[in-house]
Amino acid sequence: MNNFSFYKEVKAFYCLIFLGLILSFPPVSANPIERHSLSFFQQHQIQGTITDGTSPLPGVTIAVKSKLKLSTISDFAGQYSLLASANDTLVVSFIGFKTAVIPINGRTIVNIKLSFDTTTLQEVRVNAGYYSTKESERTGSISRITSKDIETQPVTNVLATMQGRMAGVNITQTTGVPGGGFEIKIRGQNSLRDEGNAPLYIIDGIPYSSDPIGHGQVSTLFPNLASPLNGINPDQIESIEVLKDADATSIYGSRGANGVVLITTKKGKSGKTKFTLNASSGAGKVTRFAKFMDTEQYLAMRRRAYDNDGIATYPKSAYDINGTWDQTRYTDWQKEFFGGTSAFTDLQATISGGSPSTTFLLSGNYHTETTVFPGEFLYKKAGFQSSVNHESENKKFKIQFSAGYTLQDNDQPSSDLTSLSRGLAPNAPSLYNIDGSLNWANNTWQNPLRNLSAKFESKSHDLLASTLLSYELLEGLWIKSSFGYSDLGYLETRTSPSTIYNPAFNYDSSYSSLSVNTTNRNSWIAEPQLSWEIETGTGKLSLLAGATFQNQSTGQLVQTASGFPSNSLIYNLASASTVRVLSDNETLYKYQAFFGRINYNWKQRYILNLTARRDGSSRFGPGNQFAAFGAVGAAWLFSKEAFLLDSPWLSFGKLRLSYGTTGSDQIGDYKFLDTYSISGALYGGTAGLQPTGLFNPDFAWETNKKLELALETGFFSDRIFLTAAWYRNVSSNQLVGIPMPATAGFPSVESNLRATVENSGLEFTLRTINLSSGQLKWTSNLNLSLARNKLLSFPGLEGSTYSQRYRIDKPLNIVLLYDYTGLDSQTGLYQFRDFNNDDKISSPEDKQIVADLNPKYFGGFQNSLSYKGCKLDFLLQFVKQKNYNYPLSSAGAMYNQPQQMQYSWQQPGDTGPYQIYTTGYNSQAVDAGSRYSESSASIGDASFVRLKNISFSYALPLPVTGTQCTIILQGQNLLTFTPYKYGDPEFVSSGFLPPLKIITAGIQLTF
Amino acid sequence: MKAINPIIISGRYTILIPPLLLSFLLYCCDSFVEVDLPKSQLTTKTVFENYHTADAALSDIYASIRDTGILSGMSYGVSNQLACYSDELTWYGTPLSTTESFYSNALLPSNSAITEYWRAAYVQIYAANAILEGSKSSLSLTSANKEQLEGEALFIRALLHFYLVNLYGDIPYITTTDYKVNAVVSKLSQSDIYQHIELDLQQAALLLSSPQSNNERVRPGKSAVYSLLARVYLYSQSWTKANSSASVVINDIGLYTLESIQNAFLKDSRETIWQLQPATPSQNTDEAITFILSSTPPLTTSLSNSLMESFAANDLRKKNWIQGISNGDLIWYYPFKYKISNTTPVSMEYPIVMRLAEQYLIRAEARAQKGDLNAAEEDLNHVRRRAGLDSKENLDKQALLDAIQDERRWEFFTEYGHRFFDLKRSGRINQVLSAVKPGWDPHDIFFPIPQSELELNPKLLPQNDGY
Repeated sequence: MNNFSFYKEVKAFYCLIFLGLILSFPPVSANPIERHSLSFFQQHQIQGTITDGTSPLPGVTIAVKSKLKLSTISDFAGQYSLLASANDTLVVSFIGFKTAVIPINGRTIVNIKLSFDTTTLQEVRVNAGYYSTKESERTGSISRITSKDIETQPVTNVLATMQGRMAGVNITQTTGVPGGGFEIKIRGQNSLRDEGNAPLYIIDGIPYSSDPIGHGQVSTLFPNLASPLNGINPDQIESIEVLKDADATSIYGSRGANGVVLITTKKGKSGKTKFTLNASSGAGKVTRFAKFMDTEQYLAMRRRAYDNDGIATYPKSAYDINGTWDQTRYTDWQKEFFGGTSAFTDLQATISGGSPSTTFLLSGNYHTETTVFPGEFLYKKAGFQSSVNHESENKKFKIQFSAGYTLQDNDQPSSDLTSLSRGLAPNAPSLYNIDGSLNWANNTWQNPLRNLSAKFESKSHDLLASTLLSYELLEGLWIKSSFGYSDLGYLETRTSPSTIYNPAFNYDSSYSSLSVNTTNRNSWIAEPQLSWEIETGTGKLSLLAGATFQNQSTGQLVQTASGFPSNSLIYNLASASTVRVLSDNETLYKYQAFFGRINYNWKQRYILNLTARRDGSSRFGPGNQFAAFGAVGAAWLFSKEAFLLDSPWLSFGKLRLSYGTTGSDQIGDYKFLDTYSISGALYGGTAGLQPTGLFNPDFAWETNKKLELALETGFFSDRIFLTAAWYRNVSSNQLVGIPMPATAGFPSVESNLRATVENSGLEFTLRTINLSSGQLKWTSNLNLSLARNKLLSFPGLEGSTYSQRYRIDKPLNIVLLYDYTGLDSQTGLYQFRDFNNDDKISSPEDKQIVADLNPKYFGGFQNSLSYKGCKLDFLLQFVKQKNYNYPLSSAGAMYNQPQQMQYSWQQPGDTGPYQIYTTGYNSQAVDAGSRYSESSASIGDASFVRLKNISFSYALPLPVTGTQCTIILQGQNLLTFTPYKYGDPEFVSSGFLPPLKIITAGIQLTF
Repeated sequence: MKAINPIIISGRYTILIPPLLLSFLLYCCDSFVEVDLPKSQLTTKTVFENYHTADAALSDIYASIRDTGILSGMSYGVSNQLACYSDELTWYGTPLSTTESFYSNALLPSNSAITEYWRAAYVQIYAANAILEGSKSSLSLTSANKEQLEGEALFIRALLHFYLVNLYGDIPYITTTDYKVNAVVSKLSQSDIYQHIELDLQQAALLLSSPQSNNERVRPGKSAVYSLLARVYLYSQSWTKANSSASVVINDIGLYTLESIQNAFLKDSRETIWQLQPATPSQNTDEAITFILSSTPPLTTSLSNSLMESFAANDLRKKNWIQGISNGDLIWYYPFKYKISNTTPVSMEYPIVMRLAEQYLIRAEARAQKGDLNAAEEDLNHVRRRAGLDSKENLDKQALLDAIQDERRWEFFTEYGHRFFDLKRSGRINQVLSAVKPGWDPHDIFFPIPQSELELNPKLLPQNDGY
């Protein structure tokens, strides 16, 4: 077997060498081209300053007409100089301004004033992955944010920067602990597999795997396993494009079903060398707390519960009310355990610059963040980014290189104290003794602070390097190849030292234990491509063909160790008396594809875009490895038609339509093989082998058909710009882990399911320029997404293991619930509807109420105002949704409850609304309470409007030219308006730290 | 223009490169997306080509039984949970823990512990069925190897179904690894399940040749099969067969004798019929970690007053298998059968799943039921004498049966739920438990079937009564 593998590796390597050779020819053969075409006329030095009327404009491109290779860029003071002849004409262009065409007419000093032009926003080139397209000419659905939007946010996760800013992109934060994760859904949930809905991330052309790198045995702090996405540094990002429809995503074939997130890092600009320094610091606190009972309410509940249960003498273990604990104490445990303030510090330095042919950028940053938990915990992140771009003198050869390196070091408690703090009796003893040691209150409680000595630490390093070589073989014909390499190392440890136990146990360090997970992932990718642009008389044909070879290997080693000679040696595996290897695994993922694009643009009015990809993936068994995907997109710029060309009100109008297929191979590796794997358990000195899982050799690609129709319109010189898009994605032949009952031996089996799921929706974006005259400028951006998810068909749903999870014509993200019908005022018990009339309330027969947890609509409203040197940006995010309330089961045990639970049933005739208290002995009440928490009453309105982000900056008027100093104030999640009663409404699973509200102040120096 | 010509020509050649390149890539990389197995996996076929790998697969089931599910010695295993559920232990732990729901007899169909018992048992049964299928289809294992693998796998399958049927009532009996069958399997009646168990054990008894498979008794041999058969017959009131099965084990006096009270739970005890081996050579039992108290008041459990009061003052088991811990005023007692909770240079104690004393008491009960009272008394007295108690003589049948039940209570407290199962099969459970447990309801004799399982396989409906 290994022989075969060697053979294949060699083949792949051989391909690469061949590619390298091909790419190295062109520059050699191409050098002498057009060497002599420089001077036919006498050249003069032309110079001048470029302004917008009030201030100088740096970075403006000044070119000589018909000799576009003679060009320069204005420096920081707006000044330029270049050689041209007296009768030449200058073409001066800059994004956001009207391009000026100015004849030199023999002058040597040409000062130019550019006028602001909203229409040119349509000229921005949008990254579509393998190609870029003009905003006005794109046929696909692409949302975009740029560094302007990212820099205003004091956040460390790339997904956080996108929240509320993109139509169709729904992002939810899962925990407020630094280093935690986010959940993203682009245009809804396509796959029945919860973990099969992640988009494809591409950074500078290199796919970045978002598969978790943590291990369940170690990452106990987060609701999900640690995600590698924290390794991406928002500060280094120039733009993020999200590709949504078939036209944009089909070229990513099997990996485009859930959308594609393209991240472009910052690049240098030619001109004067520019230094930028940023420093900021701030503080964060939890957004919202839930209200829990105080001591008086709590003790009343407890006494009543014992009364109700007919227990007259309180048991010995009921320390809260039997007199053991002080009944006058009150502690708000939420404030105690996660009411702290976390401190943020952020430093950044960037140097960039270059000549017209070579530009560079070097940037470094450092970020620290403490937590809101008590105790000393710290998250540190440091990054370095470099980028070099060069083009040969004749502009035929180009190289783009960028490399980023990120280090993270996260030191946290091993468990989130949020859930624990909510249930703790409010009269529980004080945390510390007078001498400062932990108070164990004569062994009557487990002091929660003991958990802080159990630590979760993670360290990661993340390297991502990419190179794009391109060479122009013929006018318009480019051969390119991109190469990428990524290397991720992740080490996480969780300790459980003997100090988490009450000292009364006399446990020494031989009871201490350590869990260690080391994950390494590296991948390389090579993508040779050929692109050709042909100008025909009235049209332009663009062709692209390419291939992808990708190899990704992930290694994971998980160990646990116990019994240490001392707790200070707890991180040393060699000093442990027992070390067990739980998992030592390496998975290999290989991927290969061919792709192509044909785009025809006729008169800049009618555009047709065809894309296709043929994919092969090692995740499928023999015979099923390859599949083809494709899409067609079309656009009609009707505003360029004669009858609208001179319209006084319509400045831009485009109708676009796309249809195509994408797929998904997010199923994990080796699932088609029937194997045994090392279980990590030992018996009789033998390392055990266990069946790896149920296997199915026959599963194959799923397909996702996407249809989109959109209208883009600009009015009054694009001062009002409205986009409306309607889409309908249908995924079928879904590749899912079909859940299995325990009797099948494993929780799921991979298989294609003949179920069909539809995601449809409407997306609106509205951009308005409210004020642009004079010094005061004000622009607004509104995005709104309405999405609907529906299970269209599912043959055999009734008899399948999904019968109690899904309903035809309902969304996937539903829960089936008991129908709560009110409180029985005689018995004080919750009542539910008996759907099958069998006189008992049981699951699943009576759990028939469907609750939809998908957001009904969501969006954001962003405003930017500027006046002289002041700038104010703010974003309101809104989500209309339902979610679980805090679980209100039966109350009365030694467990604190939300404050409204004090309104409970006391005697016949009472209406509650909450049922009779019980300490746990009234099994009817326990049953009813448990059903209540799985009933229609357990779902509440969790909609919210949030002041997601606010940023204010002021550029200090400095007497020195060429130097800028800006003071920046930023806030995140500052205000939240919600009817939700149980803390923060943004969560995926409850019981984890809510998001933080953060305020930072900083200073930026540019010179 | 002439100067540009060569470039166009060279361009003509260069334009040929892409198609050539693509066709070359298509040719050379067609097998690019094939991968080898990862280093931690073997194909199932390979596993059963070699005895050592097949045996590693079988060993893993024992490790799984030791670490997860019903027979685990951790606090989530039945030794602790059923002792709380019945009348053996008093509970002091954290509110809302799963043990509390056992202690207050308020199990919900969504309870995580009962879901886990069910899940872990069927995972272990799947693994046993995989051994049976792998061994049968292997071409290279010797028939002696196959007999041992298949015999042990059948024993495991029967053992787990035995606990499941006693905990959940009607359940499915799983005999294949085919998920298409197992995903939609229906329940069988308890008597049908018992028939399957009996058949599996009879076949295992034929396949396993030696009474004891190895020196440390960590793998079930023929004697373990007969011991379980004896228990199965006892529970199904087949007194003659229970008698003869127990006799097979008891008569093997070369291998099995009752040890002194002090040595009964040591690793080398000659009373042991089958025990589980800890993961590492220095570990001792999880039972010791679960039960031994080191501080007061207890944070977990202590032996109940009713159990403590039932012991005769001179019972050596009370002296040796129970220990007290005091804070000066009050004293709490805990099970001390296993005495070592930390690691030792060499393991001293293994968790014992089956031991000879049970066979004596099974045979005593079977003989008493058949009316052979003298022989029954003799078996009972064997166990009593070892505990330092007087012999029972000339009891009538009912008194003798009662004495055997009492003896079982003292002998097997906090061992794998014996007390709970004995109360159930003797029909006294409601009378005994409702007196001491405020939360006890008659329907509590069975656990609810896990709610998630009913949702995944509606053929498991209806839910057990009362849930």
